Amino acid sequence: MSGEGRGAAGTAAAAVVGVALVAAAAAILVIAARGAPAPTTLQERVRAVAVGLRCPVCQDLSVADSPAPLAQAMRAKIATELQAGTPPSAIRQQFVHAYGSWILMAPPRHGLSLVVWILPLALALAGCALAVVAISRWTRDRPGAARPEAAPAENLPGRPDAPDELSSSDRRLLERAVAASGAWEDPE
Amino acid sequence: MSDASSEATARHPTRLGGRSAAAVWIPVGIVVLIVALLAALFAFGLGRNPTVVQPVDLGKMAPGFQLARLDGTGTVSLGSMRGQVVVLNFWASWCADCIVENKALQAVFDRYRDQGVQFVGVSFEDQSGTARGFAKQMGMHWPLASDPGTTTAIDYGVTGVPETFVISPDGHIVAKTIGPVTYPELSEQIANAIPGGA
Amino acid sequence: MDRLGTFALALSLALAAYGATAAIIGARRGRPMLVESARTTAYSLLVLVLAANVIMEVALLTNDFALRYVFENSSRATPVFFKVLSLWSADEGSLLLWNLVLAGYIAAVAFRFRRSRPETLPWALAVMYLVQVFYLILVLGPTQPFAAYAVAPPDGRGPLPLLQNHPLMAVHPPFLYLGFIGFTVPFAFAIAALLTGRLSDAWIRTVRRWVLASWIFLTIGLMLGALWSYGVLGWGGYWAWDPVENVALLPWLVATAFLHSVLLQERRGMLKVWNLSLAVGGFALTTFGTFLTRGSILSSVHSFAQSPVGPMYLGFLVVVLLGGFGLIAARAWRLRSEARFDAVLSREAAFLGNNLCLVLITLVVLVGTIFPLLDQALTNRQVTVGEPYFVETTAPVFLVLLFLMGVGPLLSWRRTTLDGLRARVATPAAAAAATLVVLAVAGMRDLPAAFAFGLAAFVLAANGQEIVRGVRAFARATGRRLVPAIAPAIARDRRRYGGYVVHIGVALAAIAITASSIFALRTDVTLTRGQTARFAGYTLRYTGERAVQQPQRRVLIADVVVTRGGRPAGRVTPSLNMYPSASEPIGTPSIHYGVLKDLYTSVIAFDENGNRATFRFFLNPGVMWLWVGLGVMALGGVLAAWPFGRRRGAVPAEPRVRELAEVAG
Repeated sequence: MSGEGRGAAGTAAAAVVGVALVAAAAAILVIAARGAPAPTTLQERVRAVAVGLRCPVCQDLSVADSPAPLAQAMRAKIATELQAGTPPSAIRQQFVHAYGSWILMAPPRHGLSLVVWILPLALALAGCALAVVAISRWTRDRPGAARPEAAPAENLPGRPDAPDELSSSDRRLLERAVAASGAWEDPE
Repeated sequence: MSDASSEATARHPTRLGGRSAAAVWIPVGIVVLIVALLAALFAFGLGRNPTVVQPVDLGKMAPGFQLARLDGTGTVSLGSMRGQVVVLNFWASWCADCIVENKALQAVFDRYRDQGVQFVGVSFEDQSGTARGFAKQMGMHWPLASDPGTTTAIDYGVTGVPETFVISPDGHIVAKTIGPVTYPELSEQIANAIPGGA
Repeated sequence: MDRLGTFALALSLALAAYGATAAIIGARRGRPMLVESARTTAYSLLVLVLAANVIMEVALLTNDFALRYVFENSSRATPVFFKVLSLWSADEGSLLLWNLVLAGYIAAVAFRFRRSRPETLPWALAVMYLVQVFYLILVLGPTQPFAAYAVAPPDGRGPLPLLQNHPLMAVHPPFLYLGFIGFTVPFAFAIAALLTGRLSDAWIRTVRRWVLASWIFLTIGLMLGALWSYGVLGWGGYWAWDPVENVALLPWLVATAFLHSVLLQERRGMLKVWNLSLAVGGFALTTFGTFLTRGSILSSVHSFAQSPVGPMYLGFLVVVLLGGFGLIAARAWRLRSEARFDAVLSREAAFLGNNLCLVLITLVVLVGTIFPLLDQALTNRQVTVGEPYFVETTAPVFLVLLFLMGVGPLLSWRRTTLDGLRARVATPAAAAAATLVVLAVAGMRDLPAAFAFGLAAFVLAANGQEIVRGVRAFARATGRRLVPAIAPAIARDRRRYGGYVVHIGVALAAIAITASSIFALRTDVTLTRGQTARFAGYTLRYTGERAVQQPQRRVLIADVVVTRGGRPAGRVTPSLNMYPSASEPIGTPSIHYGVLKDLYTSVIAFDENGNRATFRFFLNPGVMWLWVGLGVMALGGVLAAWPFGRRRGAVPAEPRVRELAEVAG
């Protein structure tokens, strides 16, 4: 637990983390640049349309997934239309025309249904706001610690993990605990 | 257990801050409001049958079709019946409700056959042999067609059998029945579709 | 028979009502004897409800078709195994089982607290008895499992085909029930805490392990449900975001959130109102789930039950929501938090993030599930909210959760320095980066899936590293060798290691779900007898159809010979089952399970007397690891829940001291 050894290990760890971050970022860029593959074979193109359509005789399965004969017929119909050169959006529209917008597996992104699409984002933002408010309150409540971030720790390289602002009674408790448990956590 | 709880109480004493009436009733009111809205929504849900798929908006153009007749004597096409009221019935030999509705269908057919109302029965997900046998047994005397690939049924948004459409002389769908038809309902639908009423 | 059953239920109702009354009066007037009698009533209640269930089983096994339930859900031809299961294959019977499990939980609570009595116990017992009263009224009023005919019909109709198609139906519903109903315990203690004003941490400590038990049962129940969907429904998948699947997932998410947030309250006094809300919300969601399933509100694969109990469930749900959240609003809303928060780089922050994500997913899935209803109520249209919606909205949150699951165990309580974090994150970060680089080199094109794989590697490495670190430190401190140190090291802090094991299970499941959803191959082919199809390196030859007559059904089996790389690789035999009571056949897929991939075959239709057959072939990679991952999760839960005895070793029990000691670690 000497400061020197810790420093060397710390540098090595920092290097590993740095290299890992760069490598991960590069890999993500490569994958993102390739982009999702466009469906090529007829079956893939059929599936791309069929996953968006609900099998009318089953429950909550798409035309693509359903083993029902009607779904099978619908896949065949989609294939015929695609071979005839009908664009996928027009095929979807044909199904909506025949069955109503109910046939689409996901609600349309306009009108009232837009609510159901916006809601997750709104809830996420509200949740984050709630967390920020709660954290700032908890941090403020704490006597003598107006430190919302761990950032200052950065300025103190080699600083041991144990917080140094322990009160003397806390420190006594801590020492007793460590002595009693016999270093039950890795002391590094 | 009692040890732990008294210790915990001491550590985090329970304080119920300044409790004005508003501080209690505003949150309670919000809870009551939300629960009431949810309850109203679910009560609405209880009042409907989730398995019935809602009929598509009526009044749209009936998709055209040209289908081989089940008895092998040529084809049936919607285009050739333009100017007449068409009753389009999807059925199958394996369908119990098709037996149920057969009598009503027969009676309506007999009543309107002389008034220029065309009946067409399209078999749905069936084999032509069994379909023919069923039709003969049931005495379905109107033109019957097979629907290879179920394409016509899909064009009409059919989800199961029986389903029955009434098409006006100018080619619009004016009525749709999911499940077995009844004599009075189908008669009324046809009467409404005949120009000038009946 | 029918009289005896009804009598047992009526007596149970009287006992439950007595238990609730005695507990309340005993608590209010301070009469320990009365409370004690309320507690011991639980045992007699359990015996009576068990008797009612046994009577129904006997009626099912002895073909007593005078009972309407037996007539409707069993037949002479039904195999004995499925006769036993018929108890829960329809509404009335499954409510009997529901009552049994609930009575079991009450008895378990009565037994668990026979010596050490939390002060909230009488009120908690009263709440649980009142819940039981509701469910007993359901079986005595609107659904009468013991309704009888004057003259017994000669034979019954048999269970629903879909329910008698697979032996998994034997275990899937009971496990879900155990999980669902287990939420009654935390709910009861939360209400008791609210009623008595004892809103400190005591109730949290009392219910934590009960929630964990529910969580384990639900995890297993969900796994069995997914297995059933995969092995029976024949569509090659295991999860369809069906409303009933969703409402089983919701309590599981809430329980997971609760298991993390209780730690924040126990250690740091945070989230008191939040935890009360999770306990109430979890129970309300299970009630909502049963309401949705049995009240036939939304269409679903699982709407087997059509019954008149909908309005009663709705009333009960309203009482639960009003009572629970109303009490929280009235009594706890302004509860002063003693919480202290030291740093954003701390385990507290990770736990907060975890709770936000889990509750967010819960709300999104809940809203998505009931939105069709709302939309129809307001616009009289019908919309579908299906898989694409749920995947698009929840997948990013699940990815954040994965990240937190990896980073959380690396963070210390209260505060972590960047140096400390760097040292612990190096290996997991390297694992994640290596995974991403391999994927990029291998030509991966799906970015969200790449994130999922990378984060799963991160979680595996981080949690694995923490287990190894802990065991190694223990071995060093106690002078043991590494391998013999494993068991005692884990035994010292099962809760923590159990959590890490669960995380590892989640990572495995995440890999499986991602792999099977993006790499699956599938094809539809129609084959004439003797014809072959090539699919994903397999050659599949249809050799013909054969029919097997079983007592309750006729099975049409397609024989397909599989060869791979010129070598024979067995046969697959997907089938269609014809039940006399069903108009359409029900398929049974044939699955070659493999460590890396499953060959999954279902037959859709036979034509020309079996001369031609239409198949769907699937190659599903990684699905095996979903079952492994879910199993590991359940095991981790068991590990965390296990120590019923005293903790071994010298870990200080005093929470404050423990907390400080962890800071030092």
